[in-house]
Amino acid sequence: MALRYSLRVVRYSAQNAVADFAATYTWKSWLFGWLGRMLSQVVFFTLAGRLLGSPSLHRERFVGNSVMTCVVEAMMVVASSAWERRAGTLPLLVSSPAGLFEVFFGRSLQWVVSGTATSFVALLALGPFFGVHWAPAAVPVVVVVLLVTSLGSYCFGLFLSVLVLQATQLRNIVSNVSYLAMMTFCGVQVPVGYWPAPIGWVAECIPITHGLRAMNALAAGGRADMVGQQVLEAALCGVFWVLVAAAAFRLLAERGRRDGSIEYSA
Amino acid sequence: MTNAVETRGLRRTYALDRRAKTGRSEVVALHQLDLEVAEGSVHGLLGPNGAGKTTLCKILATVLLPTEGEVRVFGRDVRTQTRKVRRDIGIVFGGERGLYTRLTARQNLHYWCALYGLRRPAVRARTEQLLERVGLVDRADEKVEGFSRGMKQRLHLARGLAGDPRLLLLDEPTTGMDPVSARDFRSMVDELRREGKTILLTTHDMDEAETVCDVVTLIDGGRVLAAGDPRSIGALVSRHERVEFDFVGPVAETVRDLLDLPGVVGCTSVSPGRHRVETADDDATKAALSLLVDRGATALTTSRPRLEEVYLKLIGDRGMAVR
Ligand SMILES: Nc1ncnc2c1ncn2[C@@H]1O[C@H](COP(=O)(O)OP(=O)(O)OP(=O)(O)O)[C@@H](O)[C@H]1O
Ligand SMILES: [Mg+2]
Repeated sequence: MALRYSLRVVRYSAQNAVADFAATYTWKSWLFGWLGRMLSQVVFFTLAGRLLGSPSLHRERFVGNSVMTCVVEAMMVVASSAWERRAGTLPLLVSSPAGLFEVFFGRSLQWVVSGTATSFVALLALGPFFGVHWAPAAVPVVVVVLLVTSLGSYCFGLFLSVLVLQATQLRNIVSNVSYLAMMTFCGVQVPVGYWPAPIGWVAECIPITHGLRAMNALAAGGRADMVGQQVLEAALCGVFWVLVAAAAFRLLAERGRRDGSIEYSA
Repeated sequence: MTNAVETRGLRRTYALDRRAKTGRSEVVALHQLDLEVAEGSVHGLLGPNGAGKTTLCKILATVLLPTEGEVRVFGRDVRTQTRKVRRDIGIVFGGERGLYTRLTARQNLHYWCALYGLRRPAVRARTEQLLERVGLVDRADEKVEGFSRGMKQRLHLARGLAGDPRLLLLDEPTTGMDPVSARDFRSMVDELRREGKTILLTTHDMDEAETVCDVVTLIDGGRVLAAGDPRSIGALVSRHERVEFDFVGPVAETVRDLLDLPGVVGCTSVSPGRHRVETADDDATKAALSLLVDRGATALTTSRPRLEEVYLKLIGDRGMAVR
C-alpha cells in the first residue's frame, strides 16, 4: 500500500519531469542542439586526450568520454532539484503527504533517459571512427551498462542535490566540480591507477568507475562474466547512493522544520 | 465539536544570524499563543507585518516545528502525527510562486492530486472539478507562465484543494489581486464554508475579514490581542452606537440638547460640518435621530465601531514601523 503510493509519487513526478523536458526541447532542438553539442564534446575530449596522452589509450578515452556524457546529464539533477526551491514549491511538497525523496527521485529522471540516449548514439555512431566496433549481440548490453551507470550517477547526484537545496547559490559549482572530478579520477581520461591509492578507493564508490570498466570490457570483446561483475558493482554503488540520498532528504525536511529554512514567500 | 485547530502555549523562535550584530540571538515570532479554530468556521487572522501570522500558518502546515507548546489539527499533534495532519490540510499563499510555470494548469493539478494519494481516474476527475470550480477550464491547457496574477492565484486555490483538505490555510491569498478577482475569491471561500471546510485566513484587509470571517483573531508581537465575531468585535473599543450627521450653521445649541437626552454619552466633531453622537442604547439612538431630523441635520447614519477602528486602536497607529 505505502509502497504503491510511493511508486505512484515517483511515476507522477517523472511525468512532471517529462512534461517539463518537453516544454524545453522539441525533437529537433534536442537532436541538433543538445545531442550535437554533446557529441562534439566527446570528439573534442577524445582528440585532446590523444595530443596529451599515449595513443594506446585512444579507444578507452573515446569510450570514457562517451559514457561520461550520460553522467554529465544525470548530474543535471543537482541543478534541476534546486529549481524546485526557486519555484517556491518546496514548502508545498513538504506539507503534502508525499515523501520528498520520492518526489525528487522522479522529478529529474528525464536526464537519465536523455543521457542514456546521448551516450548510446555517441558509442554507436562515432565508435567506428575511433576503432570501436560493436557486435549486434553487444548492443543491448551497451544499453544496460549505460542505464545502470546513468541511474547510479543520478542517485549520487540526488545526494548532492540535498546539499545544494540548502545552498542554492552553489548549484552550478557543485555539479561542475563533481563531474570534473569524476572525469579526472574515475578513469575517463586516465586509468584510475594513475592516481594515489586513497583517491582510487573513493573512485570505487562512484558508479561511473565500474560502468566504464564494464563498457571497456565490452568494447574489447571481453568475457561476459567480467562485464556482468562490473555492472553489478556499478548497481551496488547506485544502491548505496540512493540510500544515502533518501536519508539526506529526510534530514533536509527535518532540519528545515526545525530551523525555519523552508521558505515560501519570495 | 472538536476544534480544527488548537494551540496551547505555542511559542516559536528563530535563531538570528550571529554575524548580524543586533545584540539578540533569537527573535520570538510567537509567544505563548492560545488559539482555537472551530471546525467549519472561517477564521481570520489579522495583524501587522511581523505579527507571526505566517509563522503560525507554517506550523499548522507542518513545514515548521513549534519551539514549545502544543499544536493540534483535528486533534492530532503536528509534531508526532505529522503524516496524518498532512492529509487533512491544504495551503495557499499569495504571490506568484509555488506553481510549475512550464506546465499547464491541468498538468499542475494532475500532479498535486497524485501527490495527495489519488489514483489515475480520480486524479482526472478531481482535476476537472477543480478547474471548473476556479473558472480555469478554458485556459487549462495553457502554460502557467503566461497566466495573469489573478489566474495564478485561482490555480493556487485549486492546488490547495487537491487533497480535498478539511482545513484550508490561506495566507494573504488576495494580495495583488484586482478588486473583481478578490471578490470572486471571497465568494469561493464562502462556497467552501458551505461545504463544511474550515478555513484559516490571514489578511491585512479589514473589509475582507469583515465580509468572509465568522471569527477574527487579532495578533501582534506573537500574542493574541483580541478575538471575536468581526461584527460585534467593535464592542472592544466602544460599547456605544454612533449617529453621524452633517449640520450647516451653528451647532452648539443642538449639541447641548442632544447631550440632555437620556442615554446620550457624547458628541464630537469628526470633520468640518460633520458630527458624531455616541449613544448607550437603542432608545437613545431613536431620540437623537428624531431630534436631529427636527433641527434639519442631514446625511444621518448610524453605525457601530468597525473592525478597522478596533485594529487601529489595539495595534496602534504605528505607520510603517515594523517591530
Ligand atoms: N526564517 C526566519 N528567520 C528569522 N526570522 C524570521 C523568519 N521568519 C519569520 N521571522 C521573523 O518572525 C516574525 C514573524 O514573522 P511572520 O512572517 O510570521 O509575520 P507575518 O505576520 O506573517 O507578517 P507579514 O504580514 O509581513 O506577512 C518577524 O519578526 C520575522 O522577522
Ligand atoms: Mg506573512
